[in-house]
Amino acid sequence: MTQPKRIHPLAFKAQAQLANGQISRRDFMRYVTLLGTSVATASVLAACGGSNESQSNGADDSGPAARSATSATAGPQRGGTLRKAMLLQLLDHPARLSWPSASNIVRQVSEYLTETGADNITRPSLLENWQASDDVTRWTLNLRRGVTFNNGDEMTADDVMFSFSQWLDPEIGSSLLGLLSYLDGMNSVTKIDDYTIQLDLLTPNIGVPEHLFHYPAVILHREFEGDFVKQPIGSGAFLLEEYAEGERAVLKRREDYWRMGADGQPLPYLDEIIYVSIAPDAAVAAVQAGQVDSLFRPRPSDWQALQGVPGLSIYPGRSSQCFLLRMRVDLEPWDDVRVRNALKMCQDRPKILQLAYFGEGELSIDAHVAPVHPAYCEKPIPEYDPDGARALLEEYAAEKGIQLPLRVTLVTKNDEAEPEIAQTVKELAAGAGFDITLEIIEPTSYWERWTDVDLGISSWTHRPLDTMTLPLAYIADAEGKPVPWNETRWVDEEFTQLLRQAEAELDVEARRAIMCQIEDIMQSRGPIGNPFWRNVWHIMSDRFHNISAHPTNYDLFYEVWKSS
Amino acid sequence: MARFVFRSILSTIVTMLFVSVLLFWLLEVGSGDITVKILGTFATMEQRASYRLQLGLDQPFLLRYATWLVGNDWWVAGRVGVPLQTVRNESTGENEWWAVVDGQFMRWQLEDGELLALIRQADGSSHKVSGETFWQAATQEEGGDAVFWGLNVNNSAVKWVRGQENRAFVFSMSGMREEGDAPVAYIPLTKGLLRGDFGESLQTGRPVSATLFTRVRNTFVLALLAFVVVMPMALLLGVIAGINEGRLVDRLISIWGLAFTATPEFVMGIFLILLFAIWLKVLPAATVFLSDSDIWDLRLLVLPVLTLTAAELGYIARMTRASMVDVMGSPYIRTAILKGMPYGRVVFRHALRNALMAPITVIMLHVNWLIGGIVVVEVIFGFPGLGRYIFDSAIFGDFNAVEAAAMLLVLIAVGTRLLGDLIYTFLNPRIRYS
Repeated sequence: MTQPKRIHPLAFKAQAQLANGQISRRDFMRYVTLLGTSVATASVLAACGGSNESQSNGADDSGPAARSATSATAGPQRGGTLRKAMLLQLLDHPARLSWPSASNIVRQVSEYLTETGADNITRPSLLENWQASDDVTRWTLNLRRGVTFNNGDEMTADDVMFSFSQWLDPEIGSSLLGLLSYLDGMNSVTKIDDYTIQLDLLTPNIGVPEHLFHYPAVILHREFEGDFVKQPIGSGAFLLEEYAEGERAVLKRREDYWRMGADGQPLPYLDEIIYVSIAPDAAVAAVQAGQVDSLFRPRPSDWQALQGVPGLSIYPGRSSQCFLLRMRVDLEPWDDVRVRNALKMCQDRPKILQLAYFGEGELSIDAHVAPVHPAYCEKPIPEYDPDGARALLEEYAAEKGIQLPLRVTLVTKNDEAEPEIAQTVKELAAGAGFDITLEIIEPTSYWERWTDVDLGISSWTHRPLDTMTLPLAYIADAEGKPVPWNETRWVDEEFTQLLRQAEAELDVEARRAIMCQIEDIMQSRGPIGNPFWRNVWHIMSDRFHNISAHPTNYDLFYEVWKSS
Repeated sequence: MARFVFRSILSTIVTMLFVSVLLFWLLEVGSGDITVKILGTFATMEQRASYRLQLGLDQPFLLRYATWLVGNDWWVAGRVGVPLQTVRNESTGENEWWAVVDGQFMRWQLEDGELLALIRQADGSSHKVSGETFWQAATQEEGGDAVFWGLNVNNSAVKWVRGQENRAFVFSMSGMREEGDAPVAYIPLTKGLLRGDFGESLQTGRPVSATLFTRVRNTFVLALLAFVVVMPMALLLGVIAGINEGRLVDRLISIWGLAFTATPEFVMGIFLILLFAIWLKVLPAATVFLSDSDIWDLRLLVLPVLTLTAAELGYIARMTRASMVDVMGSPYIRTAILKGMPYGRVVFRHALRNALMAPITVIMLHVNWLIGGIVVVEVIFGFPGLGRYIFDSAIFGDFNAVEAAAMLLVLIAVGTRLLGDLIYTFLNPRIRYS
């Protein structure tokens, strides 16, 4: 074994972070090997945790016994139960999952080909790696070997082929069907050999790895019949012991999981996870009283209530979740770009963020591209400009021969922050000549007509890439009709062209140059105002480690451990 | 007496039928597109239409009501051509529908255009064989294509048309090719309420009975505890206040009773959580049932029971007090006291019986409320009870679940009324049923 001459000082910093549970072992390994440390040394550093004297000895003596001995004192501990409050409803076919909460149960039992982490970076998971052709229309997916399902069968290309066939079957009702619209059904999916799948795309798309982590895209066993509760077969770290809708889900540790822990034994560290189905308000009380360790998707009011509670840690995270002030450009007065821009100029973004979301987010430009997206092109945040807005509106009113104020109705749902945003915008826009009537309706009613209202505030979830969101909402289909989720009916030829280029551009810097233009177009003539990007939080008892806030509230628990 | 009971049962059945039709109709007109709630907002129209078909929601209203009431296997069996039977799946504890073909339990599946027959083995698993013979035996229909009615693995009778599985068509919008193997018609099988099958909950995708009965049990435990704590205490305080009319003890009981009754349950509940769970940390804040047997962990139930006690106690006590005061002022009590009868004997032998008439009516009505109407308390404490079950199901439009729970509540309502009437006859011999 070679003795390392010098270890990069940052490696020790990372080692300390690992010991504190701030970073996972995997992140540590990736980071430290990037710094030029050999894998063997890195493993030893990881195993040694915080004790920085032993690093040179460790390299000479990296046997499993030595490793497990040191990790017993400083590394992750095994055992324990994690209890989390989350409402549990229908769970049958994973491809049909329609809410992220149920996917958190499936995610413990089954796995995805890829995994987008809390840092918004997508890595191979059940894949060993992937390759895209230069024109980004052919993707080769190389499966990891030696992964077994919890029924003992090895995962092969047959299982992946079966899973694709389920995702693409309209009768199943999977939301992947729309996402993977660049595939010509199963004609585009080919099994090359037992560990290789090839995708031939109709149109180039760089988002394939991210799409493979869309929450319904779990890899199913080839004999899956359609009900996950009856057949909880997956390759994941936990076994589904009990699933009772509206009551609880109990997950137990699996002994032969393929990922290894820092102690050289198979993950996971936890023995058991229990999700309890209790309503959000009761969940806050239960977290406060220590009856559960965490709660699903804390609302801003929950975040506020749980701040400073002893024994709790709040992990904030950035996301591209947002509340869009969106205008139907095929209807008056929003068909006139001056009116749209006038309303956008009425956003006092810091004020809206403060009043609606306790300042817990990042200010945004009026484009649906977020700073967490890899190709985001940084732009100055527009100022609140009621006088400029008034000038635009006066010009419009004079042309149309109408009197200000301009009467409009803003529809939104009575949900997390929408009423507050609507109220604030109403007040901010009054000075510019808008007379906004608010119509705050129940979330289900809003979702029944979200694409139809003239002026509304719609919430959009996080997607890891900008090229995943933009084609959903701002383009037309082949026949020139706006796509189903194009709630504003805004279609711009130059924008569409640029977006098609971006979808086929693997190089992130080249894509950023395109995004600069896309963001300019959306800001100058686009259909949305976007005051801020919201933060997400993972609120968890401080006895648990390796916790991070995933931008879509996904629970990745296979590396989480509990200190006794 | 027997006639009275018989009449009660008859009126109960009529009431239940009436309620069930009304609820079915209300949910039919009031609850929007259920597939939006199941598949999420973002499913395509084609997917929703296909899913509606699979749920059997394309059938007319009256047929669906009749199916819910008396089931449909008896006439669907005629379509399939063989008897249909439910078999319990030991691994899931749920009943599955199987066709009985030559003494074997069988279901079918279409895979890559090939019909497969699944034969149930003794251990509950199934063995796949070619089902080609079923095509040959199939009736010729639909422009010369063979038609076969069979059971699929999702407990529906389905109609497959040979040749259609290969007729792939392309969605113009997304460029999608429809996969084959899809049946052209579905009839989800059920035995119907009258034969003990509550049907499948749309919200959970499982039999209603699988979730409903845990909720009913939870609610009964909570209601019983609250009843046992509240009623004796309320009656006692009411009687004490009533026989001490105008004195300090009466004033204290009346004012505290009024104060508790006037405080809404959600205020009282949150106040109790803050006091006992967050500040003093002596009791759990929410009813978190980490396992099914946690319902017997009485610590979890202390705060919900206290909240219900606060809401109920004052009301019943004041009711009893008023009734007691009334009776104590009546001439026959005055006579009894004047002729020198011991005071305790006057109160317990002569006054109490008559004074309890009014509270009994209220108490019996409150039993219904404790079982189905304490949604607010259930939400505050996250208690998995029947009230929230009905509320959630109604919001979702889950008619099978709402119907089953409503039938149960009607039964309880009528049952408690009957019980109330029986207690009346005991308390007051003037009321006789002949």
